[in-house]
Amino acid sequence: MPPTQTSSPTPVQSSQSPAHKATIPHAYPNGNPNAPLNPPSARNTDSCLPLGHTGEITHNYACTGPAPGDIAFRWIHGSVCAATNRDPRIQVVAYNEDTYILRENICINWEAPFTYLLFGNTGALLIDTGATPEAAYYPLRTTVDSIIRRWCSIRRKKSIPLTVVLTSGEDIAQNQGLQQFTSRPETTLAPTQLAEIKHFHKLASWPNGTSSIDLGGRVIDVIPTPGAHKDGITFYDRYNGFLHTGDLLYPGRIQIANDRDYVASLTRLEQWTEAHPVKWIMGGHIEMMFAPGRAYPRFKNYRPFEHVLELEPSVLAEALEGATAVLGKPDVVFRTDFILLNRVGPDEKNYRTSPDLPFIPVPIWLP
Amino acid sequence: MNRRTFLTYPIVSAALPSISAASVVLSRIPSPETSFTGESPNIDFTADLPAPGTLPERWICGSSSCMDNQEPPIQVHWYNEHTAYLRQNKAYNYEAPFMHLYFGNRRILFIDQGYTQLRHDWPLRDVVDNCIAEWCKRNHRNVEEMELLISFSHLHDDHYAGINQFYDRPNTRYMGLTHEEMIGFWGMTNYPEERVTLDLGSRNILIWGSPGHVMSEFAYYDTYTQILFTGDMFYRGRCYISFWEPWFASMKRLMAFLETYPVTHVVGCHIEISRTGEDYPYGITYQPDEAPWQLTVAELRHAYEVAQTIKEPGIYFTGSVFLCNQTRGTTTVDKNPYAYD
Repeated sequence: MPPTQTSSPTPVQSSQSPAHKATIPHAYPNGNPNAPLNPPSARNTDSCLPLGHTGEITHNYACTGPAPGDIAFRWIHGSVCAATNRDPRIQVVAYNEDTYILRENICINWEAPFTYLLFGNTGALLIDTGATPEAAYYPLRTTVDSIIRRWCSIRRKKSIPLTVVLTSGEDIAQNQGLQQFTSRPETTLAPTQLAEIKHFHKLASWPNGTSSIDLGGRVIDVIPTPGAHKDGITFYDRYNGFLHTGDLLYPGRIQIANDRDYVASLTRLEQWTEAHPVKWIMGGHIEMMFAPGRAYPRFKNYRPFEHVLELEPSVLAEALEGATAVLGKPDVVFRTDFILLNRVGPDEKNYRTSPDLPFIPVPIWLP
Repeated sequence: MNRRTFLTYPIVSAALPSISAASVVLSRIPSPETSFTGESPNIDFTADLPAPGTLPERWICGSSSCMDNQEPPIQVHWYNEHTAYLRQNKAYNYEAPFMHLYFGNRRILFIDQGYTQLRHDWPLRDVVDNCIAEWCKRNHRNVEEMELLISFSHLHDDHYAGINQFYDRPNTRYMGLTHEEMIGFWGMTNYPEERVTLDLGSRNILIWGSPGHVMSEFAYYDTYTQILFTGDMFYRGRCYISFWEPWFASMKRLMAFLETYPVTHVVGCHIEISRTGEDYPYGITYQPDEAPWQLTVAELRHAYEVAQTIKEPGIYFTGSVFLCNQTRGTTTVDKNPYAYD
């Protein structure tokens, strides 16, 4: 057997093909008996098959559609008295073998940011770093290290270089864990200042143009998306078909910092979605409830009725329409899955919702 | 269980209650140093007024990571030997309301019960029982003979949620959760003007209506420490004035009260302002630079002067409190959305 092996390559279709959009699996609770049992999108890393095999395993990330993966329906959501919370400090969900979703415990910081760890054949990428600098409270580095160690042992690699990037360098709900990685070997840290970010990601014509990060067979595209932050970046993962939008678009109260930039960025993302298959939009937080147009107020560390993390790509058009409607005026837009705040205080109209959305009473005041 | 042990079983079970009954009787016999005969010396709550006391420079005020908070769930501060103030830890609930324990010769008054219902989440009952046991031991009294009165400042759940931890406590009366039961508890027939006197046993508490934040609210004045408690109607933070006219009338009532009664401190239910006058936004769980809880009489008088000039809804800062006249509840003073050009 050769020292490195590759699972049989699947022909990659043209990214313009509408076939990509049709590959989102329909939900069958016990599996669909009519579906093909060996679909072309099935990937096999062969991690278990060879016995006594010593060489590195190389995975073929070429995909005909979004890679399969599984996501928790409901996240750990805090407790009535935050001080008594004994949940894991970081909830780790393996979306698939090469994609990990990490969430900070709500009782450490109410922002409860999501962090994504992606693996390719020659590199790992950590998108965002959480809201708490203290490793004792929020052991991001240790958690990432142990995931990487386990992943490397499965792939029979000694180590893998890590790159830490941010969806926004200035977002204090996402850049706080960065310093935990400063002395880590084989690690590249993204800068936090806009000028350096442009240089780091080779985005000379910011906010136009895109660049990409090659993790070895798995390419992550870097799309400048200012609007919620002046240095906002969206990462597109071709393998999973995820847009990692950070604060730009997520199920929560989205604070627009510059509405012209925001509309331009959403337009850019919509064009991107037309040209590339997008399965889900994966944001940085969840603040919405499981009731249309209603969000938890700031600082809540008990959120039992949370919205799911993933957003359908159609939300993009909805957000673009909403943001265009409030362009140039301070106002709030309520939609089922998100709220847009344009130049209004973060507490403004928290508990109100749009008259065209059904009002579902949610017991948010339970002490 | 074999036949032999089965036969011995009823004898054992019959013996057990009599043993435990005997131990209860034994425990009730007072030891020589805490000996009293039911007529322990009365504490005089009427001499040398106001009774001196201290308030902390800084209360426990949460932590940056709530789940790592190691401080007690309830901070207990003895203002003096017969007065305790309690505060809910911010990491247990962001409202962090204050609670009052006033001890008299015959009764104990417990005002406000915090914002957490369940005893296993937040052990209010245990802490209050400990305070009472401590005071009774110090003053040679039987816990069973002291009546506990549980009331609250106003009809909002962050001030009475913990009340159900006391539903099985002996010798305890508690206020009902309706306006009618509230004023009925104090025997008022002319709310809010009527001022009633609650006798705790030589220690008098004056109580009268103080609507404005909500319609069902009381002001409490302790004649022993001369501390005036104004609830959520006036405190160091955002006084959400739901109804302006009743609130202004309540302020006038306080001004009239100040004419006849000396007041050492004015205290409310929360702290929401830093020492530098910064507004801590609604819901925050960490207030590292909190201003003191108590307000001076001068600050209350000044707020009244400011209130006289208020003609329209809005937020008015008096230097010590924010008067939020008919603004939406939970509005913070924060007008600083992040934006760039």
